Amino acid sequence: MNKYTDVLIIGAGLSGLMAAAKAAEQGKKVMLVAKGMGAVGLSSGCIDLWGYNLEDPNQVCQDPLAEIARLCAVNPQHPYARVRDVLEESLLFFRRVCQENGYPYLDHRGGNWLLPTALGTLRPTYLAPASMALGDLQQVRGVLVVGFRELKDFYPDVLAANLKKSGVLQANCPLNTLMVCAGGGELTPNTLAHRLENPVVVDRIVDQIKPHLLPGAVLLLPPVLGERWDSQVAKNLAEKLGHPVYEVANIPPALPGQRLQQMLLHHVKGRGVEVVIGCTVNGARVADKRCTEVLATGAGKPIKISAKTVILATGSFLGGGLESKPGKAWESIFRLPVETGHEKWSARDFLSMAGHLFNQMGIKVNEHLRPVDKTGEVIIENVMVTGANLAGCNHPIEKCGNGVAVASGYKAGKLAGEVGE
Amino acid sequence: METDKAQVVVIGGGATGTGILRDLALRGIPAILVEQGDLAHGTSSRFHGLLHSGARYAVKDKEAARECIEENMILRRIAPNCVELTGGLFVQLPEDDPQYADQWITACTEAGISCAEADVQELIKKNPVLSPNVTRAFKVPDCAVDGFRILWGNVNSARRYGARVLTYHRVSAIHQSNGRVTGVELINQLNGQKRSIECEMVINAAGPWGGEVAAMAGLEVNVIKDKGTLVAYNHRLMNMVVNRLRPPGDGDIFVPHGTITILGTTSTTVDDPGCTKPGRDEVLALIKIGQEMVPELESYRLIRAFAGVRPLYQAGNATGGRSVTRNFALLDHQQRDGLAGMVSIVGGKFTTFRLMAEKTVDLVAGKLGVNAPCRTAREPLMAPVSEELLERGKRVFGVPGARKAAERLGDSFAQVVEQVEKNPDKGRILCECEVVSLAEIEHAAHSGDSFTLGDIRRKTRMGMGTCQGTFCSYRTLGALSGYPQFAGNHREYLTKFLQKRWKGMRPVLWGQQLREAQLSTGIYCTLFAMERMR
Repeated sequence: MNKYTDVLIIGAGLSGLMAAAKAAEQGKKVMLVAKGMGAVGLSSGCIDLWGYNLEDPNQVCQDPLAEIARLCAVNPQHPYARVRDVLEESLLFFRRVCQENGYPYLDHRGGNWLLPTALGTLRPTYLAPASMALGDLQQVRGVLVVGFRELKDFYPDVLAANLKKSGVLQANCPLNTLMVCAGGGELTPNTLAHRLENPVVVDRIVDQIKPHLLPGAVLLLPPVLGERWDSQVAKNLAEKLGHPVYEVANIPPALPGQRLQQMLLHHVKGRGVEVVIGCTVNGARVADKRCTEVLATGAGKPIKISAKTVILATGSFLGGGLESKPGKAWESIFRLPVETGHEKWSARDFLSMAGHLFNQMGIKVNEHLRPVDKTGEVIIENVMVTGANLAGCNHPIEKCGNGVAVASGYKAGKLAGEVGE
Repeated sequence: METDKAQVVVIGGGATGTGILRDLALRGIPAILVEQGDLAHGTSSRFHGLLHSGARYAVKDKEAARECIEENMILRRIAPNCVELTGGLFVQLPEDDPQYADQWITACTEAGISCAEADVQELIKKNPVLSPNVTRAFKVPDCAVDGFRILWGNVNSARRYGARVLTYHRVSAIHQSNGRVTGVELINQLNGQKRSIECEMVINAAGPWGGEVAAMAGLEVNVIKDKGTLVAYNHRLMNMVVNRLRPPGDGDIFVPHGTITILGTTSTTVDDPGCTKPGRDEVLALIKIGQEMVPELESYRLIRAFAGVRPLYQAGNATGGRSVTRNFALLDHQQRDGLAGMVSIVGGKFTTFRLMAEKTVDLVAGKLGVNAPCRTAREPLMAPVSEELLERGKRVFGVPGARKAAERLGDSFAQVVEQVEKNPDKGRILCECEVVSLAEIEHAAHSGDSFTLGDIRRKTRMGMGTCQGTFCSYRTLGALSGYPQFAGNHREYLTKFLQKRWKGMRPVLWGQQLREAQLSTGIYCTLFAMERMR
């Protein structure tokens, strides 16, 4: 099968979907192919932009945009330095898309939210879906952590013990835990979220929670409140209880990331993007520094796709965009070079504050997101690289992965209509 | 300071020490075993998991070979749930000296080890990963053995006869008076508290730490510390143990265990008995040699590397390595050094631990005037799980889960099944890779000698599978947070556990395992911001 398109996006993670949304908005014929569902479904569902101060990396950053401006000056190799020109408009675009689809993402007066996780830690993030956007833990007058007996991935006592230790709550703030029953059996986050779509189940949960509510308390729940982005579960639960209800970040699978992905997929399909999931791109033909076609397999059949612009949103090692052997790493479709440095790929401590080199490995690009070699020469002119594939981002420590994905995906989508064709 | 009394104190909770404890208990000699960490945290969990037929030693070390085959047959009988009867192969490649094979066949026959030549084509058909260049192959009675399980089997059996065990207690002094040992002093490694035990005899079974322990009594025992690195593949590459048919060297044994395969090992002399850091260069060297037998080795996923220290012994001063005997030596310090009440058992191999224990306790019993004969070769380690119980297990855990749990738990399986029958919620699987249920984890937590997530891991295999604890360590912490010993500092408990797993993953971070590492740093740093947790 042969296919033709203006813009081909490989990968259905956050940067690929952003690229698709932006390119489609500009009237391009866009095709998005992906092997699987993309790593955004594994993420918190929030948009982390920049978490901590450059000078004091234990201090939560109050103004991420200003901090990123400083970052670009001291670390011009950081992916943000390539996308800073569009950073703010990319965030506006992202929020507009979310808003249009009835799934608003909220900011915290331009600063960072400091949101609780299932482990009872706090994580800074820039944009959060309404169901996670807990304003200010210092102000709350009580917390009730609610777990489900059917779920093995959430432990209210662990959350409560560590939240207490974090010192963010007022000293006299009551912090209680409760286990409720959603009908029995053993459920995964997805099957529980499905069950909670039933209002009768929600009513039964409300009955179980009500006797334990203290005035002014907020409720923290695992991220299972609703299957889809347009679900009303969190809202209904809060209304029926008369108390605010929040989902906290938890180990995958977690619904907020999945909802964000579904919503963006729904959006791009609605804008005419042809989406093929379950399609693996195995290779490409390149002539005169241009990609003339990519070779893929979908449903067991070979597909050849030619495009004016190819956006490589294949998601680092985890997504399969990068591959490695002892001492060697490379990009998997075009065999673009990946610098591995001479140092060790990982730090001795798993939780090292310096992070691990393998998470920073990726493809070097110029200001148009074109892959470049060591000398800065463009390797393939009509290919752009986005998201976790970009070199130089220490995202697990910096808390900026989804921010880089939004901005680089947006920029690639925008440039797809402007240069290199 | 708390003071205990026992006739005998055994130092070292490895295979030999626990074997000795069981033997003492079965002969009615009151004993306490002390161990600085958890049982098997040292050499006894850091090996191939190979129950030698002895064929590997037949040419160079006939006595060791003969002991191996005898002990191999005994352990099959007394600990069937700890031994997988895989059978073993010795394969010859074109670059191996064909004359060695003839020498080896003769040596095996003389040592009483059956070695039958196999049809090479048929073998490769059954084990397609093997090199098509194999020239000759022989079947021997090698097996795979579960070190953790045997050790706990020894201890549980010994406890039934009144023996005691103190884990996380390091010996800080050995007291003596008038040329006779009078007791030991211990430091609790978890809370720093001191404690002492008065005794008539001390048995030094501290493996690579044997020299250090002897030094506390003012004695010199020359234990050569020989580090061996091994790697674990996330696949059952072959159905038999596969050895290279040539003089023993690095990287020439593959041992299948359940769903994984272990390849090893290397040999380097080290100074520190606790030096268990697997080196990346050693790992790469292993894979390179292993490829000669399994050409496609590079394409299989590694989950981790690990290293153990062999306590080799040679009277006098010797350098170490492959040339040192794998035989054991029993040192009677009364005879040798004039210190009554102390013996050291050094050298040897996992396969012959029971025999080492028997010889040691024969000597000790003689000194104590006890005439009871050794029973460890006859009496099974644990009662077999009945068919009826296994059926009940299958109803609560499913077929594969029940089988794994029954093998792991042995005598305790009945209790765990009963728990789940009473409360089905406890049947949920917290470790999906190794199919470990909440009930089993709670059982391990209740045992009285689980203080860390690592202790739970060694008892249940939680965290040992493909995800290396990424999901199940968090769940286990959650499930156990109500237990006083796990209610403390979550960051510390979890970090220690994840760090130990990380240590093994680091030398093999490429391919699939690098993807896994990206996922686990994604979960614990990106999602949980645990690097900044207080």
